[in-house]
Amino acid sequence: MSERLEADVCVVGAGAGGAVVAAELAEGGARVVVLDQGPRHDPDDFSARPPEMLARLYRDGGQTATLGTPPIVLPLGSGLGGTTLVNSGTCFRTPPHVLERWAGEYGLELDEQTLRPCFERVESALSVAEVSPELAGANAAVARRGAEQLGWSHGYLRRNARGCVGSGVCVFGCPTSAKQHTGITYVPRAEAAGARIVTGAEVRELRVEAGRARGVGARLSDGRRLEVSAPSVVVACGTIHTPLLLERSAIDDRSGQRGRNLALHPATAAFALMDDVVDMARGVPQSFYVDEFAADGIMFEGVAGPPAYAAMSLPLTGDAHARAMAGYRRLAQFGLMVSDSSRGRVHAVAGRPVIRYDLCADDLAKFRAGLARLRELFLAAGAREVYLPLPAGVSPARARARDLTLMAFHPLGTARADARSSHGVTDGELGVHGVAGLHVADGSVVPGALGVNPQLTIMALATRLAFRLLGAPVPRAAASSDSKPEPAIH
Amino acid sequence: MNGGGLERFLDAAPWPQRAALRLLLALARRPRGAALLARVPLAERAACSTLGLGRYDDPAVARALGWDAAAVVARGRALRRAEGRP
Repeated sequence: MSERLEADVCVVGAGAGGAVVAAELAEGGARVVVLDQGPRHDPDDFSARPPEMLARLYRDGGQTATLGTPPIVLPLGSGLGGTTLVNSGTCFRTPPHVLERWAGEYGLELDEQTLRPCFERVESALSVAEVSPELAGANAAVARRGAEQLGWSHGYLRRNARGCVGSGVCVFGCPTSAKQHTGITYVPRAEAAGARIVTGAEVRELRVEAGRARGVGARLSDGRRLEVSAPSVVVACGTIHTPLLLERSAIDDRSGQRGRNLALHPATAAFALMDDVVDMARGVPQSFYVDEFAADGIMFEGVAGPPAYAAMSLPLTGDAHARAMAGYRRLAQFGLMVSDSSRGRVHAVAGRPVIRYDLCADDLAKFRAGLARLRELFLAAGAREVYLPLPAGVSPARARARDLTLMAFHPLGTARADARSSHGVTDGELGVHGVAGLHVADGSVVPGALGVNPQLTIMALATRLAFRLLGAPVPRAAASSDSKPEPAIH
Repeated sequence: MNGGGLERFLDAAPWPQRAALRLLLALARRPRGAALLARVPLAERAACSTLGLGRYDDPAVARALGWDAAAVVARGRALRRAEGRP
């Protein structure tokens, strides 16, 4: 049995990019069908218990990993909202120097002025505002104390949250629905404007005839087939899965770049044992940043969680692990993220993504420097002990790539935008080179590391795309709820 | 120990990780296996992390460390109901 739908635009994926495109198009009068592989999550089912929520809210239980040195865990959200459902909610605009690089290297006509109305519109829709010190909690206060002692540049992060009470489990499903992920913001807007949202729909193939998009073919979770006829298709499956769908659909890749240029923002974190109670999970886990070394590609951002999360992350074993966990209430944690120059690749083996990524010497140097700085930060804050994510006896200066325990949260670049069809999978308007009516709206179009969390960049690019498709200018948003200026990241 | 969550976590993993983690956990739970793991730091760390994820998810263990997941969830539900949040 099969079902058929017709639409003006079919959007594949309802994460940071797809949900935004769908809502803006539907509100602009287009007939929109959204297909998402994952489910619609009910916040009543969020248990604030890490193992259960990892299994339910993440692809592969949050255990997607790269092959290479070192292997890197790459958690990806699953369901309406995509990874915005499980990220920390941090919102940065694209740094100006990155936009300048895009213009110079990739011929992308995207400057601050062009994107400003897109950013303002997204920030207004998501209630983006700076975290208050009170809500940030004691874990952020530790990092702030260290940064102030050292005279390092720092600040409280801007986040997409409304009515947050600091539940401490952003990445395990916000139990108060304070985090304004796209599953509870843009998706309902799209539905209210008449968009049809289909969950449990695995898109098998993009339909292209005579160089023009015609729709998609999907398989539903109950086994039925679904055909969507649409003259315009927006692919937003995320950086790992979008290139695989393009490949599976035999879309011509003149550039040879499809699946390549994968940047990840590899990250790690250190713990510190403090004198006073921290209770790291009371407050907003990612609420504070230290950008003193952002120009060197090193960014520090808060990270924290309940005991089960801490036990999983703590870089110790045996009795040392048990002793540190006995002092959980006095543990602080802070993360280190690297703006990577390493580049990986994703391709399919038996239908599953295989992600190859090796840390290059430049990025290893950033981790060595960053870990030493992170220890410095904690010691300046008064830490009794610092637990770095390195094997026993290995100092940051002598760490090898295989010594690092890394995760990554911001895959980008596998369908990179470049004005030249010989260099990019997509063009400056995010259209797939050589196929009319086929666009991409997710992190895969972002042509390289940003150095900051990318969700706002993806959403702003999606907003721009939606209004280009509507043939209308991006409307000016109402004044943001937070009038403080965007922090300047070097 | 409440192992339901950990089992679901393991079941959700891609099969190579699932098989590897189950093997590591089986070793870590036996004295001779644990001694073997101690010679392979990365494997010992992976086993310790995964066991820790399950052990400290136990409500009684977590409450003793100041974390009450049920209370966090109850507060979230009450807020959503009271304020008409999604």
